[in-house]
Amino acid sequence: MDTLSRHPDAGWWANGWVDLALRWLLGGLFVLASVHKIMDPAEFAKIIFGYDLFPAVAINLIAIILPYIELTAGLALISGVYPRAAAAILSGLLLGFILAISINAWRGHVFDCGCFASGEAALWQGTPGWMLGRNSFLLFIAWSISVYRGQRKILVRFG
Amino acid sequence: MRSHALAVADSLREVGGGPAIFRMFDLIKKMLVLLTVAAGLALLVNGLSPHGIPLIGQWDAEVGVVTADTDTAALWMDFELSSPQAAKQVFDAGHALFVDVRSRDMFAAGHIPGAVSLPLGDFDAMVEAFAAKLPPQQPIITYCSGRLCQDSHTVAQLLMERGLENVVVFIDGFPGWIENGYPVATP
Repeated sequence: MDTLSRHPDAGWWANGWVDLALRWLLGGLFVLASVHKIMDPAEFAKIIFGYDLFPAVAINLIAIILPYIELTAGLALISGVYPRAAAAILSGLLLGFILAISINAWRGHVFDCGCFASGEAALWQGTPGWMLGRNSFLLFIAWSISVYRGQRKILVRFG
Repeated sequence: MRSHALAVADSLREVGGGPAIFRMFDLIKKMLVLLTVAAGLALLVNGLSPHGIPLIGQWDAEVGVVTADTDTAALWMDFELSSPQAAKQVFDAGHALFVDVRSRDMFAAGHIPGAVSLPLGDFDAMVEAFAAKLPPQQPIITYCSGRLCQDSHTVAQLLMERGLENVVVFIDGFPGWIENGYPVATP
């Protein structure tokens, strides 16, 4: 273990390979999650409308841009371009998802998560409790990547 | 020693070495770079893709069927019955065939009298037998579960593509029908 890996601010695992595995796991999941939304933005817009949380003027814009944020941040994590920033962005998204699911669960509003696929046969659809648990776990992974201070494996640097 | 120093410098640059405020600015700057790339790519692809949607959709059920694609919605305006009263008038005239595109279970629970069931999910399997019985000029009214549902438009489009010439959509669907106390049939 080198000096950097023993940095007092290093994550509790302090292992670049664990960090890499978490980056690829989280990045891969978000790339996967973005695909069906990018392929059919009109259907994804209907799912956003179904959440009944957003102003009408913002629904299409969210449907257009959100999947590309997932895709860009996911690819950044996988390739090692600005991994802390990508993890921070995904943390923000996951917090937003957790908030949206919680509000609808609290008010008893039935909705299509639209997380990984649309429709009743959606992969990983589950109950609101399951979705909250899953997103909390992913948020923990994103946070872990954000605070990791050791030397990262496979990293692209600019400047 | 020199290589180790360079490794330390590299790592500090990655984790954002220096005072916390600079690390925070550096993180925000990188987040903005990624978000800008994402937004630019999204708008570019959406603008070029045949599956692209307008920046603002039609999400007011008071106005009509909710949809992300306002361009298509505008084209449908001439092929819609936009009130239960208009649908009732057509029903009373007795010439049109009402086509219920909801699920079989929903149809069995109640439907517009005289309507036939043609669920969107079974369309491919049923359309041959369905269309074979009808002349191209047969007036057809499709309906589903109201203004939050687009299946009736989808089936109407598919029927038009099969050569049926007088297809319109009752956009308030079965909920709009029963809200007005109009007759309901069950098998």
